[in-house]
Amino acid sequence: MVGVSLSRWTMTYFAAALVALLTAEILMSVGWGYPNAVLAAPSTLVLVHLVTLGWLSLLLCGALFQFVPVLVAKPLRYPQLPLITLLLLVAGISTLLLGFLGLRGTLSARGALFPIASTLLAAGFGLVLWNLGRTLASARPLTLPARFVVVGLLSLVATVALGITFALVLGADVTAPFAVRLFAYGLPLHIIAGLGGWLSLTAMGVSYRLLAMFMLAPESDRRSTRAVLLFGAGALGVSVLGGTVVIGFDHGIAAVLAVAALPGLLAIALYVHDLVHLYRVRKRRVIELNSRMAAAAVASLAIAAVLLIVSVGTESLTQNVAALVFLILFGWLSGLGLAKLYKIIPFLTWLECYGPALGRAPTPRVQDLVAEQRARKWFALYFAAVWIGTGALLDHAAGLFHVAAALQLIATAGITVQLIRARRLIDVPAPVRFPAGSRRPALLFAALDARPTTGD
Amino acid sequence: MSSTDIVPVAERIRTALRVVIDPELGYNIVDLGLIYDIAVDVAGAARVLMTTTTRGCPATSYLQEGARHSATQVAGVTSVEVVMTHEPPWSPQNMSSAAKQHFGIPEEGAA
Repeated sequence: MVGVSLSRWTMTYFAAALVALLTAEILMSVGWGYPNAVLAAPSTLVLVHLVTLGWLSLLLCGALFQFVPVLVAKPLRYPQLPLITLLLLVAGISTLLLGFLGLRGTLSARGALFPIASTLLAAGFGLVLWNLGRTLASARPLTLPARFVVVGLLSLVATVALGITFALVLGADVTAPFAVRLFAYGLPLHIIAGLGGWLSLTAMGVSYRLLAMFMLAPESDRRSTRAVLLFGAGALGVSVLGGTVVIGFDHGIAAVLAVAALPGLLAIALYVHDLVHLYRVRKRRVIELNSRMAAAAVASLAIAAVLLIVSVGTESLTQNVAALVFLILFGWLSGLGLAKLYKIIPFLTWLECYGPALGRAPTPRVQDLVAEQRARKWFALYFAAVWIGTGALLDHAAGLFHVAAALQLIATAGITVQLIRARRLIDVPAPVRFPAGSRRPALLFAALDARPTTGD
Repeated sequence: MSSTDIVPVAERIRTALRVVIDPELGYNIVDLGLIYDIAVDVAGAARVLMTTTTRGCPATSYLQEGARHSATQVAGVTSVEVVMTHEPPWSPQNMSSAAKQHFGIPEEGAA
């Protein structure tokens, strides 16, 4: 029996991620980037990478350092590495954003920013892969959710490799013909590997386990779940590897993407089907806010899949691609991320604070750390704002989009306050807040010995 | 200690374990059915066999230590060993009737 300890820096990752999300939402509210600028504009690139790297990737890395050990029932291979990893990633992301600003002319000294950003991000994500990879390798044969994480991590390699190639071409540091061709035609592959592989497949794997755990649904090795992984990995392999090869031979990637679309859509359809099944067979009849909001995120993914099919069918994908990416980023990935943070932060805080007091004094429940009544309106506003924002982008209504972005910012700020209240134990009634043996948690990191001693 | 005291000691341990809650479900580990067996020998050495609701649960070591500590407080107990197992895996059907009612889980066959 392996006891899994608390990941010391996961809260720090979450805090940095939330700062990035709020910053991105402020920028969107004031009209930065698309739709006021074109999709390929430096301001849009800043925004997109603030969300995908700063918010979603840091969130996922922080969660995986805690969750992969739970998934495989083995301790993290190198528990001392996540802090230096975070510093490298934050430095790399910041440098990359500065590089984009340099392209805009906002910053004059653009110089070596892209090579520096590339080096920092390669080192940071390299450490993520090394740490999680070694942890997963120690736990073979892997469970199904863990195999999703493996495909997600492989997609991360592809995303980062393509991203670094683009950055070096963009900064004129690399001029090799293949790299330049990749830069010119390979953007869809970078987006598919990042959004579809790294962020979505990993989130799917994690969601199977977390939702089953929190809703008391039986964790079964369903054939449809294996098909989700198979089709998802197939779609990624065909599009990203196949696409790279055809670009190498100087051909267009449209045919490759068309071939990959079918398994990709099948994977999404089966995933949604699996999740509906999971909600149906749950033993816990009254489910918590985080599980209800996760359903809204999964619904956003389903809507995005339908939007993709309709857009391709009506030959309007080019016009709708921004709305599609927005819905995937904020409805599906960020929606799921915020919903799960509303569970994970109270849960980890409970373990750190009350774990040592178990058996020594009555302790509050995890649910006592949150006030769902208060959080509900912020989550409702968040999803409403995202869906209005998606509609505004479809309609190319920039004014409405900025209003929706402002509402989304307010909702995210409201959710963040709820997360801080949970971490600070503010909603736990004062008389029972710190029973004998409990430990007051720090806001941004977990205590070093966040596991019980064996003495009395 | 006479052999007639053995059963009551095990029962007293069971009662003492009710102070330990599963953090996620917010219910005590005895009524959740997480305690598989409590054995006490004539010398007062207790062995508690328990599980968690899910394998790899990060609360495992806290639950184990909490159970050990609360059992140690029972009069007549000289030592406590808490053994974790996932055989058989826990199921919501292991819950007591009161716990099932609390979570709205129907009795097996009644669903």
